[in-house]
Amino acid sequence: MQRTVAPDRVEEINEKEIAEPDRPWLVIVWNDPINLMSYVTWVFQKLFGYSKEKATKLMLDVHYKGKAVVSSGTREKAEFDCFRLHAHGLWATLTKSD
Amino acid sequence: MPEVNGMGHGTIEVRLDSQEADLLRNLTDEIASVLQPGAPRSDPVVERLFPDAHESRKEARSYRDLVGEDLRAGKKEALKTVETKLGDSGRASLSLGPGEVDAWLTVLTDLRLAIGIRLEVTEETMDEEPDPGDPDGAAKTVLHWLGWLQEMTLAELAEEER
Repeated sequence: MQRTVAPDRVEEINEKEIAEPDRPWLVIVWNDPINLMSYVTWVFQKLFGYSKEKATKLMLDVHYKGKAVVSSGTREKAEFDCFRLHAHGLWATLTKSD
Repeated sequence: MPEVNGMGHGTIEVRLDSQEADLLRNLTDEIASVLQPGAPRSDPVVERLFPDAHESRKEARSYRDLVGEDLRAGKKEALKTVETKLGDSGRASLSLGPGEVDAWLTVLTDLRLAIGIRLEVTEETMDEEPDPGDPDGAAKTVLHWLGWLQEMTLAELAEEER
């Protein structure tokens, strides 16, 4: 996925990204009462290649704590992961880590 | 009762009698309308199927401009895959290869989300057996039936990976 940036803003955005090169974006999945626990676990395994154990732990975090960070990285990677989660019907959002 | 069987190599076969297949045909027809480009975001089902990715409205909007159409196209393609497998009438035997199983599970999820959102289900009401007089009883039964189909499919996939 390519992000397009208006030419007059390129410089400003580049400066910002250089100033915070390691601040990753987090992909958060939120609990919902409809999706099945087994399905959510399967989605984590399939999309991110996580082991059954790791995927199950994340699913349980989502279920009992209300949300879990399921992946992180550059804005592009996080947006792609969020897109794939939405495509599979999970409720996901993006946030920049503190 | 539907039959769900693993056929090896990540392929799943789902057999539905004509009543079950017709139910799924009707449900896929119904959800097609919320997957149309003009479907209003004031509809909670549309909002749930195409959620905001960012807290800030501006960023959420720009993310939607970026990938919203791809997301819609992907969901429509999955729906089309399942509709084609279901055929037009009568009982159905769906032989689903690995990519098609993904479409199948995705469509079952979207159907469950649409029904669940319309019923405004919560964690508590989700586990309740519908009362005989409950006007939403039929929809709740369908919601659980779709979940059962999904569980069976996932169980067969897990079995194949052993």
